[in-house]
Amino acid sequence: MSQKEDFSELQKLLHLKRLETPGREYFDRFLDAFHAYQRREILQQEPWYAKLVEVLCEPWVAGVPRLATVAASAACLVAGVAFFLGPTQPGTAQLADGKVVHPKGIVVAAVHDQAFKELQPELIETAAGGDEIQIPPLYVNGHNALAYDSRLTF
Amino acid sequence: MAVERVLPADLESGPTDEELVASTLQGDLAAYDELIRRFQGRLYGVIYHLTSNHEDTNDLLMEVFDKAYRSLPTFRGQSSFYTWIYRIAINRSFNFLDKRKRRQGAMSLNDLDEEGLPKVDLPDVSPQNNPNKAIVLNELQNKLNESMLKLSKEHRTVVTLFDIQGLAHAEIAKVMGCTEGTVRSRLHYAHKQLQKSLGIYLKR
Repeated sequence: MSQKEDFSELQKLLHLKRLETPGREYFDRFLDAFHAYQRREILQQEPWYAKLVEVLCEPWVAGVPRLATVAASAACLVAGVAFFLGPTQPGTAQLADGKVVHPKGIVVAAVHDQAFKELQPELIETAAGGDEIQIPPLYVNGHNALAYDSRLTF
Repeated sequence: MAVERVLPADLESGPTDEELVASTLQGDLAAYDELIRRFQGRLYGVIYHLTSNHEDTNDLLMEVFDKAYRSLPTFRGQSSFYTWIYRIAINRSFNFLDKRKRRQGAMSLNDLDEEGLPKVDLPDVSPQNNPNKAIVLNELQNKLNESMLKLSKEHRTVVTLFDIQGLAHAEIAKVMGCTEGTVRSRLHYAHKQLQKSLGIYLKR
């Protein structure tokens, strides 16, 4: 018996597995069971990370080409590394209206109001510059959070 | 060996799968019901022959149709709906098999057969009027399932799609996202492995 013939015998045997089916009643009921399943699923909120896992594991189902996913992940990784390993020197730039832009893109309002400093001295942590360099002071609150431009407050 | 394609009659007439997808996207939910009717049998077969468990197959089949329904707006028609939903079914089954493999260490002995393989559900396909034939058929069925479970999931998938479901090599390649050559070589290897473990039954 040749190898090819052997395979055809095997294939006949494998055809037996076609009989392993639950029967017509199961498929007649399946649609109703599926609708009930869907209603249950809708009521259950999917956690936020489930979508992330889905996009990473099955990007073609989520409508994202695999290459795009890899490229986006790589870009995020590079951006993350650059953010944490980036320059930590406090290089600031002063805007025309007196506000200061910090390296991380935070705009701090300029405060020249002496009365405000006197009223809340604990809010003033550092005063950059001296007589020659006029850089408005940075100020932080009690939790070390920078005060933001009012337009950026949330 | 040429394997006959199993196509339900309703696939040869009526709206195409893609037309049904378009109708579903326009809000015609009955169109999606029709897609479920068309694919439930074949997808059940694929998942069942990969998992060898009817209960798991039922759960996975629900998941697959639900997932496909929710992802339908992202289906761009680059492949056929048929290929797309098969890929979802196979991917879900693979994930399930990986989880089951990891879980097997913690499985109860009651869940395993005497050879340490997960117990499989076998429907009663034995002829009622011939007890001897029934015993032989049951034994054969057990051995067949046991041999299938010993194959890797990729090899089991090609055997399922080619030998049981009757898909062509090119279709299997699309569904599994590999080349036709890979499909052929996997099939050849799987056949050799199955032949080795089922040899005694093939020579009868």
